[in-house]
Amino acid sequence: MDDLLADFIAETREMLEASGGELVAWEADPADRARLDTIFRFVHTVKGNCGFFDFPRLASLSHAAEDALADCRAGRREPDQQLVTAVLAIIDRIALMIDAIEAGDEFPEGGDESLIAAVDASHETAPSASLTEDKEGANPPLHAPADALLGTGEEHAAPYRRADAAAQRTIRLPVELLDRVMSGVSDMVLARNDLAHRLRQAGNQPTIDGPFERLTTILSDVRDAITRMRMQRIETLFGALPRLVRDLSAELGKQVMVDLDGGDVELDREMIETIRDPLTHLIRNAVDHGIEQPSARLAHGKREIGLLAIAARQSGNTISIAISDDGRGLDEDRIAAKAIATGLITASERQTMSRDKILNLIFEPGFSTAETVSNVSGRGVGLDVVRQNLEKVGGSIKVTSVPGQGTLFSLQIPLTLSIIAGLTVDVGGHRFAIPQSYVEEIVQASARALDFTRMGETALVTFRGNRVPCLMLGEVLGLDTCEIAAREPTLVMLRLASGDLFALAVEGIHNHGDLVVKPLAPAVMRSGLYAGSTLLDDGQPVLLLDVANIASQHNLMSDTRVRAIGSLEGEAAVTADAPRAMLFTDFAGRRSAVRLELVQRIETAPASAIDRSAARPRVVIDGLILPLIGLPEEALGMPRLRLLRLSDGACELLYAVREVEDAVELKDALHPVPEDPLAEAMTLIGGQPVTLIDAHALFALHGEPPLAAARPRCVLPDGEWARTILAPLVASAGYDILPEGTTDAAAIGIVFEDVFEVAEALGRALPARVIRLRDQPDAPPGCATIYRYDREGLLAALAEANRTARAEGEAA
Amino acid sequence: MTGDLLVIAQIAGRRCALSALDVKSVIEIGTITPIPRAPVWIAGITALRSQALTVIDCRRALGFGGGTDDTDWPTDHRAAVVADGGHSYALMVDSIEDITTAADEAGQVPGGFGPEWSRVATGMVETMAGPALMLDLAALLAGPETARHEIEAAA
Repeated sequence: MDDLLADFIAETREMLEASGGELVAWEADPADRARLDTIFRFVHTVKGNCGFFDFPRLASLSHAAEDALADCRAGRREPDQQLVTAVLAIIDRIALMIDAIEAGDEFPEGGDESLIAAVDASHETAPSASLTEDKEGANPPLHAPADALLGTGEEHAAPYRRADAAAQRTIRLPVELLDRVMSGVSDMVLARNDLAHRLRQAGNQPTIDGPFERLTTILSDVRDAITRMRMQRIETLFGALPRLVRDLSAELGKQVMVDLDGGDVELDREMIETIRDPLTHLIRNAVDHGIEQPSARLAHGKREIGLLAIAARQSGNTISIAISDDGRGLDEDRIAAKAIATGLITASERQTMSRDKILNLIFEPGFSTAETVSNVSGRGVGLDVVRQNLEKVGGSIKVTSVPGQGTLFSLQIPLTLSIIAGLTVDVGGHRFAIPQSYVEEIVQASARALDFTRMGETALVTFRGNRVPCLMLGEVLGLDTCEIAAREPTLVMLRLASGDLFALAVEGIHNHGDLVVKPLAPAVMRSGLYAGSTLLDDGQPVLLLDVANIASQHNLMSDTRVRAIGSLEGEAAVTADAPRAMLFTDFAGRRSAVRLELVQRIETAPASAIDRSAARPRVVIDGLILPLIGLPEEALGMPRLRLLRLSDGACELLYAVREVEDAVELKDALHPVPEDPLAEAMTLIGGQPVTLIDAHALFALHGEPPLAAARPRCVLPDGEWARTILAPLVASAGYDILPEGTTDAAAIGIVFEDVFEVAEALGRALPARVIRLRDQPDAPPGCATIYRYDREGLLAALAEANRTARAEGEAA
Repeated sequence: MTGDLLVIAQIAGRRCALSALDVKSVIEIGTITPIPRAPVWIAGITALRSQALTVIDCRRALGFGGGTDDTDWPTDHRAAVVADGGHSYALMVDSIEDITTAADEAGQVPGGFGPEWSRVATGMVETMAGPALMLDLAALLAGPETARHEIEAAA
């Protein structure tokens, strides 16, 4: 019985939580059918359940609400403001009673009758049915057609109910159990990787490889599912907010509209609980202090109804939540005066502080600007507690505000146990991971091309015409780095959340992929350089760099958010202006450029990966054989080669270059060069002439579509012989075998002579190109057939058919 | 205390005891990934299945100069895996000797154990394998800096 009671309480709670938002939405639009149904379902379920448990008071309350709502659903009554308030009061009472039942307390007697009377009373004053019809006819509601409202409610409600019942099949589990399953799956992944390694060493074993592949697929599915188990949509948190704002604004005599965005962002379940209170506090603050009274708003030329917007976004391993209102904004002078009065800052310090710095003083301990402590905020919990709570989980909070226009609180919350996309880099023989979300771009170039300079102790590089501070990762970590790498560093351009850009010089990029990040021991965290640890596929542990902290340790993070936004906008404007190109020097010493859209990646390949035995050189990259152009005639004098990987979407080719310079904008006029077939134009970049490569000509001459797409298809005759004996031969000749029964006009058909004759006689459709097979070695005269074991003849016919198909294709 | 299971290990040539309840397992130390700029007594991190363990060099954590390449005390490259505050650590010791039971309560000896040892030791305990110094895990994991800070704060 106790279990059942606990389930009842949990279920009712869940429904209460879910219906909070619905109630407010319903109030805004009482004619909204879907909302009405949800709320009806709630009281209905409560009524049903408490009959079972013998809670007569709960039963009578929910019964009264159910009756009133049933009347609305049947169209006998119009839901009005009064009814909504009465139903809300009953639901609140139900919530209180549930709390009391759970705690095992007696709920104080009385008060129920007046609530029930309120629901009934509004009934008696409700307009007549005919009036209702008129009104609804004149003003059709948004969510349900008018005729549905006037018809009988039951049929329309039925599908909703079923859908809901299916969605609510959930179970509760202890978090530790989930954690255990998760680490078990992680162990399994590592064991799989180990096994994969051993299998590779043992060579190809078809009997094992198949099941192993299957295991791999299943494992990655399971891993995804497990990860999702921990995650919850932030919707669950947002669901309660409209109700909160409604109650607050009613209490304070204000009108506030809530705009929620990004409810589908997923967050660790525990993290959602952690941010619930800070978020609630900020919303209370916004409604209480931020948004003005309707009359004051009108006087300032604003809309009477204040807007409170709450938006969640995921960027990499952080979730940012922005809470903005269009209220009066923060008063810089008052905050400063208060801060001076409480001794947080001195008057002389105030003179030198920026507005942003002053505004962010509100998060300092012991600060509260409200002159009168209202019922709503000012419960002794200040914004300092909000910040503390967020910082406890590694988050942060900032405020910006424009006087008279509004205030924006932005929260940054890490995804605790997160799987993040990351980049692994090498430096001084060590390997580190960087969250991908920070990485703007990776630049590989010589120190000269980057205009690498040292100003005092700070290193600067030039990136897109801007001087950008550059940190040597080796120096940051105090590692010995090799000299050669320092001359030709790989720069990872990192963009911080504040908008600041800086370069991190490393020796090489190792890999990128998903990393499961786990927390580090506190003694290691204290160094301020690492955010966590992760294991690579081979089981090697790798440290995840705390990019934001490293930047702030080196004073690379600016305090002003405004500046960051400004510079971002400026950048966007510039990129929209001119097409961009990758500038490089080829092996003939010519400075050339290729349009940036074509460049997939800059590859570095060892000289051994290049094969020059064929007429056209090829290079092996990522296990693919790709055409290579731009190589010098003579032997390469270098162990490694820089390659531009170009793609037109379908096929790829690599362009060998002596040096990659930079991505540049094509601002100057393009002068056509008709005498050079491979040049699209000449242009000036930084006052120097540069040849812009003609991508069309390049791909027309050298492009090779990937093998798979180019494979011709073939239809085989039915039967065991064709499947087991003919199919391997056709496949090895480069054809894809179409499954039996499919028809494809472009495919080449192989048919037996007798089938062909019948088909021809009956006028059945045959593929355009047909190879006819005969059973006898000797050909009857005047018949274009091939003996079915004439291997050479068959291959020649297939090759011929393929050639004509291609020729036709190209002609077309 | 009496009858408790203890893991007996050698650290810096001394016999020490850890409560067997704290020790999850004893592992062979594999490759250790060093952590640049971390305190010296943290040797790095190592992987135990899918778990990353913070490797504590117990000699340095006590405040001795030691290290793995120190030949004063031979090591058997084994470590005790312990958990504290939700994090797992591998304690790099000279060698793991035995698992035995405590014969009495941890007691003090006249003259103390010396400054390094006093910080981490709760007392001497008699075991079946002879007397051993009972170690306080949390104090050991806090590292030598905390002691210095406390002294500075007191001064």
